[in-house]
Amino acid sequence: MDSSAPPRSAEPRLGRIIALLAAVAALVTAAGTGPVEAHEPDDRLPAAVTMDFVPPLPGSYPLHAIMRAPDGPVLDLDGRRLPLSRFTAGKITLLGFIYTSCADARGCPLAYQVFHTVRHRVSEDPELRHRVRLVSLSFDPARDTPAVMRHYAAAAPRNGVEWVFLTTEMPRTLVPILDGFGQDVRVELDSRARPAGPLAHVLKVFLLDERAIVREIYTTAYLFPEVILNDIKTLRLLDGGQRRVIP
Amino acid sequence: MRGIKLRGGCFGTIIGVLALAVVGALPAGADETCNSPYMGNLIKGQEDYLYVWVLGVKGMGDGSDKLVTLDVNPASSRYGKVIHKVSVRGRGEAHHMGFTDDRRHLWAGGLDSSRISVFDVGSDPARPKLVQTIADMPIKTGYVGPHTFYAMPGRMLVQGLSNTKDGGGMTGMALYSNKGELIATYPMPATAGGDGYGYDVAINPQKNVLLTSSFTGRKNYMRALGDLVKDAEAMKRFGNTMVVWDLKAMKSKKVLSVPGAPLEIRWSLKDGDSWAITATALTSKLWLVKPDASGEWQAKEVGVIGDPAKILLPVDISINKDGSGLWVNTFMDGKTRYFDLSNPEQPRQTYERVTGKQVNMISQSWDGTRVYIASSLLANWDKGGADDEQFVRGFGWDGKELKPAFEIDFYKEKLGRAHHMKLGSKAMKAAYGLERTATLR
Repeated sequence: MDSSAPPRSAEPRLGRIIALLAAVAALVTAAGTGPVEAHEPDDRLPAAVTMDFVPPLPGSYPLHAIMRAPDGPVLDLDGRRLPLSRFTAGKITLLGFIYTSCADARGCPLAYQVFHTVRHRVSEDPELRHRVRLVSLSFDPARDTPAVMRHYAAAAPRNGVEWVFLTTEMPRTLVPILDGFGQDVRVELDSRARPAGPLAHVLKVFLLDERAIVREIYTTAYLFPEVILNDIKTLRLLDGGQRRVIP
Repeated sequence: MRGIKLRGGCFGTIIGVLALAVVGALPAGADETCNSPYMGNLIKGQEDYLYVWVLGVKGMGDGSDKLVTLDVNPASSRYGKVIHKVSVRGRGEAHHMGFTDDRRHLWAGGLDSSRISVFDVGSDPARPKLVQTIADMPIKTGYVGPHTFYAMPGRMLVQGLSNTKDGGGMTGMALYSNKGELIATYPMPATAGGDGYGYDVAINPQKNVLLTSSFTGRKNYMRALGDLVKDAEAMKRFGNTMVVWDLKAMKSKKVLSVPGAPLEIRWSLKDGDSWAITATALTSKLWLVKPDASGEWQAKEVGVIGDPAKILLPVDISINKDGSGLWVNTFMDGKTRYFDLSNPEQPRQTYERVTGKQVNMISQSWDGTRVYIASSLLANWDKGGADDEQFVRGFGWDGKELKPAFEIDFYKEKLGRAHHMKLGSKAMKAAYGLERTATLR
């Protein structure tokens, strides 16, 4: 990415993104479950948050160690039981929790769009292409089986940048991972305090360094591809022994 | 003027000294429309609970600071009642609180003890539990008086008021993970016009701007107000600045001159707006912070609150969800004022009412139809005698009149001094409850 580019240049392939979003919508429909879960309603934010600033140059700011990423058993698209740590260390990793039936424009589809943009930009950078990984982990193990996740992952064709889609066997194995990341999931209750309505969560995306240390956390109000790309480059500069600012 | 009794002096004397001193201040902080933009799960409908962070009073109940939960849902049989309280077993000048970004935990600070109490309000919103105490902030950061607790993604930004070296106003911010681990510290700028003081923090993510304000140090805020205002040298040691920070880099970009201790900061939440407003405690002014035509951030005085010569001490402010109006409490005259912000460059007071003999905090529901007011400012700054009312009062607001809905006398209930308030709801509960329980086992 040219870090001196105007901040609103995040959509290099708008048509492609629209097509991808359409594919996501088609998947939601095809799943037949409907939008049974939803992100928190928040009418303060538009569907796509705009960015009205030029982010600081990569390497010109620190990214402090926030916490170590948790570990736990996950399932890959073939249903193999593997440790999450296999997908959080060794590369700079962008990790987000999703569920395939989510249709809130400010939730998973937004994260999906941002992941696609970041992945595309990373693929164009030979310095980063093989050093960055994206991980989408479902927090709806009941519906998002490996087969469903495989179907979901098909909308992300290979481009040389690793994008891993994972799920878990059951809530009991998922919860420690959620708690470890500090990712909330809530359920609405009715007047008798019984579960009623959809699950909800605060959209969070985690940036991990090669040692699986969380170095940044993004939410809907700050989920900007330019910022994420600069942060990835900053990690390379800070942790790769190249303490200089990219011009 | 009435002879209102204050600790350490009499109000008439104080007014005279304050008028001469020209500097000074007071603390405050606010509510559902004033939460961090990173905070999820805002309560858009009827709130069920009001969490009140209460200063303990020696000889009253257990004498400790405590988190008190009120039932504020009119449909409840317990409406307007205290339904729960959690003591932190110590008295440390309970002051302000802030939710974590996921609203599962409520962080509450003590300005004297510098202890941070973390309450779990997600597991059972009606019965908060004290789950963690962070007691080493002074040792680890050099800052004391944790004041503002501002949610960032997975983190909590804590603004200090003072420092361990001299108890003055030079201070900084401390960034913690939501698990309570210190991540970084950021000193307030003391060069290029900066006075190094701190008070409130507020973020505009789309502008990548963190805005801070300034108050005074521990030596001043723990002193009896009546004594303090007679000390001309001490009265010079109040903040007169706001700072614009590059949020991403956490570096100060510009110091703004805002004389008279600018306290609470409120960004307009209206789409497309990029301005914030604050009130100066000693000079009784409203100041607007916004970029000029060239994009340079500027601060300018846009209005007065009451008669500034009377030193009414504006304390907490609360902005509407669409930035169209602003509540302002003035401690000394016990008034709650409403300003029309249709044109934020020219705020216009349209309403006022005496809501207590002393008033500090004000919180409103998301739709603005319910307003809550609490009485206490600081243990040594609250009024004395019969003027030392300690309460939470609920009001209905129809756009024309504040109508009393309920009142709880915190002295009669043997609770203490009612300070900061936050809203709670029983409508949301952590998912996978059984699995979480199983995991904990």
